[in-house]
Amino acid sequence: MTEPAISRDTVAIDEAVHEVYQKLTEGNDPVDVPFRTMKDVFMWAASLGYQRGERRPLTGKRVTIFRWAQFSPQTDIPLLKALAIADSGDVNVLLKQDDILTIAEEYANAGIHELRTRVLDEFGQPLWNLVELSQ
Amino acid sequence: MKLERITLENFRQYYGRQHLNFAKAKERRVTVIHGVNGAGKTSLFLAINWCLYGKSVDNVKVIDNVGELISKEAINRAGVGECVRAVVELAFLHDGRRYVVRRSLEGTKKQGGSLALNDTDDFTMMRTDEDGQAKRVSNPIGTMNAILPVNIRTYFLFDGEKIDNFAKPEASAEVKDAIYLVLKVELLVRARRHLEAIAQDYRKDLKQTSGGELRDLIERDENARKEREKAEKRKAELSDGIESAHRKIADIDRRLLEIQGARALQQQRDHLGRELKQRQSELDSLVNQIRELTTGAYPIVAKPVVDRALQILDEKRERGEIPSSVRKQFVQDLIENMNCICGRPFLDGSPEHQRLLNLMSSRLPGSLEDDVLDTSAALRPFDERIGKLRNDIDASMKRRTELIGLINELQAELDDVGRQLRGSPLEEISRLEKQRQEFRTDVESYNAEIGSLTERIKNLTEEIAQLEKDIGKAQKDERRGQLLSIKLDLAQRSADALGQMYQAFSDDMRVRIEAKTKEIFKRLIWKDSHFQDVLLGPDFNLEVIDRYGMFSRSDLSAGERQVLSLSFITAMSRTSEEEAPLVMDTPFGRLSSHHRDSITKHLPELADQLVLFVTDEELRDQARKNLEPRIGTEYRLEFDRKTSCTEIVEVNR
Repeated sequence: MTEPAISRDTVAIDEAVHEVYQKLTEGNDPVDVPFRTMKDVFMWAASLGYQRGERRPLTGKRVTIFRWAQFSPQTDIPLLKALAIADSGDVNVLLKQDDILTIAEEYANAGIHELRTRVLDEFGQPLWNLVELSQ
Repeated sequence: MKLERITLENFRQYYGRQHLNFAKAKERRVTVIHGVNGAGKTSLFLAINWCLYGKSVDNVKVIDNVGELISKEAINRAGVGECVRAVVELAFLHDGRRYVVRRSLEGTKKQGGSLALNDTDDFTMMRTDEDGQAKRVSNPIGTMNAILPVNIRTYFLFDGEKIDNFAKPEASAEVKDAIYLVLKVELLVRARRHLEAIAQDYRKDLKQTSGGELRDLIERDENARKEREKAEKRKAELSDGIESAHRKIADIDRRLLEIQGARALQQQRDHLGRELKQRQSELDSLVNQIRELTTGAYPIVAKPVVDRALQILDEKRERGEIPSSVRKQFVQDLIENMNCICGRPFLDGSPEHQRLLNLMSSRLPGSLEDDVLDTSAALRPFDERIGKLRNDIDASMKRRTELIGLINELQAELDDVGRQLRGSPLEEISRLEKQRQEFRTDVESYNAEIGSLTERIKNLTEEIAQLEKDIGKAQKDERRGQLLSIKLDLAQRSADALGQMYQAFSDDMRVRIEAKTKEIFKRLIWKDSHFQDVLLGPDFNLEVIDRYGMFSRSDLSAGERQVLSLSFITAMSRTSEEEAPLVMDTPFGRLSSHHRDSITKHLPELADQLVLFVTDEELRDQARKNLEPRIGTEYRLEFDRKTSCTEIVEVNR
């Protein structure tokens, strides 16, 4: 699969939600801290953001959490592209990696709050809450 | 500063170019300029002020409300569009060097006769150096202000109309200002104020930077470390306790295997224990598997994204905006070979050929086309993958429920074995099992305590890390605080020292000026005067004592007030040690002949150079006689009513 022209390859989140990413990834017990990577948290957040129809630009300080190379070519990249096409309604968006990333970052910036509410804040252990959310 | 010469060109009523030399010889240091009222004395006085300072310097107004500076006659004579210029040039000596300052203002005559003035005047200063070469001074305004500061000029170039200002009862502030400015006490006041402001800032900073905070932080850090050490020690003890309990349980298990009535039950327990362990480990890996599945299960939530993107792609394809899933290269090859996929040839212009050409024309640029096709191809199987993911998660969760059930059952069976052993009629078996139970309870309670200690240690470690950061910052603050204290001390002590110097200096100056004023006043006042003494108190009130020893400034006549003021001003210029001319515009107008006589007799000795603008009435008889031997140059300002112009005429002596 051809990659779009490389311009930016880092993925950023708003400093204000960095703490949520850390809470979901830092720890030893898989039941309490289900995620292994911030990339997975990001993908979940972006997907939830679209599901809720909410896109929120990053307004605070940007914190880089991982690089483009961490996205899997089989699942993540097609999903990010689908998100860009679904959002813009235009296939030309695929020519600009910057735009694909920005769209994903903005959906994730909205979706991360939903992820926190449903996984961390709700009664029960985070892993089982996440299972609930995926059903 | 000693004035040498003034040259005026088209300045107010001085039409054309005219000049006047100032007397500066030691014996003949008086310049007298006569003029009737309206002849141009005040304009000439103004010319000196304007030449030196312009209309204003640093917000100090020098000239206000005086109307046009350029000669009306010159404007009148100029043609429309012609440039008219007023110039005043002043030559003077200062600190052994000769200076020539020149100020000019230009305007262009407009239709209708008025003048379009340039925004600013032009000021230049030339200084003759040791080698006799005149050089242009690069900072003329600053240099002029250093020679005779604008704010003290009125004490040297003063208007006779305002001469009694210092002697008015309400004038103490003006007297104080005059002393401060002329004797440069103001510099001390300003320096002190500045240092006190700095000290104040340091004090504020110091207040914000700790104060015992570091000690408190170090103490807290020490306590936290001690507590963590204690917790770690206790944790190690508990771990040993658990190990020992496990050993004892193993011993008991071995013993039970040896006892006839317990063997079967113990064997069952061993078997159940092994199975339980296996199931638990199975559950652990299942939980990890569920974790992997679930954290990667976002395609389930992203289904609406995939559906919408595929819908858009399909719509575009249907509209022909993007190609169907046939590669550009493939179509191109068919066209080149003029052969169909089935191997049948087709002709140029045939419907098959036309269809392939249409396909080519609706294609996207190469890389985008590949991308669209690849993305589309990658998204199609998502539905299936999502279904599989759901199934896998469901299956894993079901297995988890089963495993938990199995584990619970095993647990119950184990409890049952224990209960049977405890209830054994054989005392040894029952005792051993009870002991085993106690050890198990110990292990559980030790584990619980270890859990809470681990949490405590974690919190303490975080607290210590934060404290270390705070200590580092507090240490930095403390070092800064020490430096601030030193600076504060220095600033405050300097300010205090300046305050003392200021007090001593201003007291000294006040006393010296008082003595000088007294001396001059006595010389200038009419000998038989009712007034005997002058006081300048700490409140800077200029006071006069009469022959009965009473304060009697309010009894002074206008003329006497003028004498008192004059005494004060000359006392100040004497005390300041500034070499400066005394230029006085109509100084004697309000004096009685007695005072006038005595002032004209003594004034020349009191100034290095004296320039007097007078009316004929002011200077006659005895007064004129008194001044006569000291006059160096004398001029008459002749005003021509027909042209409204004044001519400076030297009086031949």
